Amino acid sequence: MNVSLKRIQAIFIKDYKEFSRNYAVSIMILFPIAFALLYRSEAGDQAAIYAFIMNFSLAMLTSFVQACLIAEEKERNTLRSLMMTPASMLDVLIGKSALVFLISAAVLAFSTYLFGYETSNVMLLTAALGISIVLYTAIGTICGLYSKTLLEASLSVFPVLIIFTAGPFALAFEEQYPFLEVLRYLPSSQLSELLVAMEVGAAAGELARPLVIISIWAVVLTIISFILYKKRLMDQ
Amino acid sequence: MNAISVQNIQKAFGSNVALKDVSFEIPKGEIFGFLGPSGSGKTTLLKILTAQLEATGGHAAVMEMPSGMMQKTAQKRRFGILTDNSGLYERLSIEENLDVFRRLYDLPKSSIDQVLHFVNLNADRKKRVNVLSKGMRQRVTLACAIIHEPELLFLDEPTSALDPVNTAHIHKGLRYLNERGTTIFLTTHDMTEAETLCERVAILHKGEIRAIGAPDELKKVHRDGTLTVELTSGEKERLSMNEDSAAAIAGWMSRGQIDRMYTNELSLGDIFIKLTGSELV
Repeated sequence: MNVSLKRIQAIFIKDYKEFSRNYAVSIMILFPIAFALLYRSEAGDQAAIYAFIMNFSLAMLTSFVQACLIAEEKERNTLRSLMMTPASMLDVLIGKSALVFLISAAVLAFSTYLFGYETSNVMLLTAALGISIVLYTAIGTICGLYSKTLLEASLSVFPVLIIFTAGPFALAFEEQYPFLEVLRYLPSSQLSELLVAMEVGAAAGELARPLVIISIWAVVLTIISFILYKKRLMDQ
Repeated sequence: MNAISVQNIQKAFGSNVALKDVSFEIPKGEIFGFLGPSGSGKTTLLKILTAQLEATGGHAAVMEMPSGMMQKTAQKRRFGILTDNSGLYERLSIEENLDVFRRLYDLPKSSIDQVLHFVNLNADRKKRVNVLSKGMRQRVTLACAIIHEPELLFLDEPTSALDPVNTAHIHKGLRYLNERGTTIFLTTHDMTEAETLCERVAILHKGEIRAIGAPDELKKVHRDGTLTVELTSGEKERLSMNEDSAAAIAGWMSRGQIDRMYTNELSLGDIFIKLTGSELV
């Protein structure tokens, strides 16, 4: 597969300019920061509250922005114009995802600092959030590719937001409704589980399990987004 | 050497047949026009030639490579395309839009100045695309398609939104590009554009080529064999090509009564209507 750093950079710079001038989308970076400030003095299980902020931010910032960037390119036919240049499918997807990845990483790091969350294993937390950003970016790409317009894309992210953010909370009713156990395998539930396990100093095996499940989600959704991208652009 | 070679191309979308056994060749360096109304199959063919669609049958080669190879990076550098679906980045300026393409094609910064001069937009380079008129946007889209001076240029209605002055400017530029070796494949329903710009044209109707040739050749083939003589008195006489007409003309001529005289040729638009029974829309 043909990948060029120059072309990825061209797409990244273009997306950065568009993003910084599109206030309806760029305002999303304020949500995680606002949530971090709002909940910083909240009493209770810090790991669970922090996991909620991260899960909400990943859907509301990462998936939403990526879906909007992709859908806008589709709506205005610029994605097809890009496809006619030497940019390969990977150049376009990496270039577009790189901006969302960096913005998400910076905003989540700043929100973590504002919230005042401290962990005994920074590397593991960084890896879990990094992999989560990749998977939520893939979800955003899929939502964007399925949407015909920017409005449709922004609405399509809401089911993701509701299921992934509320999933870990719904597990409180697992005993009454056993079918809810399936929600345990959501990446958001796994992130919550990982953060709680880190806080109680769980063994390496218990920490590895959620990370592996999040990684599987990331790989599968990334592959689906690549396949969908190719299919959507060829057949239209 | 042919820039494009199409043999028995067919394309169907379910039961809807878009192209039926279309065949033609375009030698390198030619400006070739594809004439046809909306829905005639022009865009389908253009998509097949640029590997955006797969043909149901037949064979198409572009620059001596199967058209399916046109999505390879090396091949994509060799052609440029402007369609009615070509989009621009609304929040970026003209210059910033061109800079995206310049970077993707790995060109020097001077290529932006050259192409802006070509489309007559140098003075407006800092303007954002979302404030541009339709005509200006069309010129920016064209600039994006030709910034890398492609060997082959696909143009779908390139001057449809332009006023006569800008149309003339673009035509001049396209001829200049063609003189430098660019083969141009143009779809249009502007007959004047086809006549002034194209060396050969094909008339496409309901997925079939109804006629192909130089505009003058087509006019000769489809002329009605009559002659119109306009007399100084203001009268117009339509004559057949025969001895009686020759005698009448000789008489008027000897009396100095002929103001103008011309053969009655059909325009390309008339030829299209004659061949297809429908208007160009």
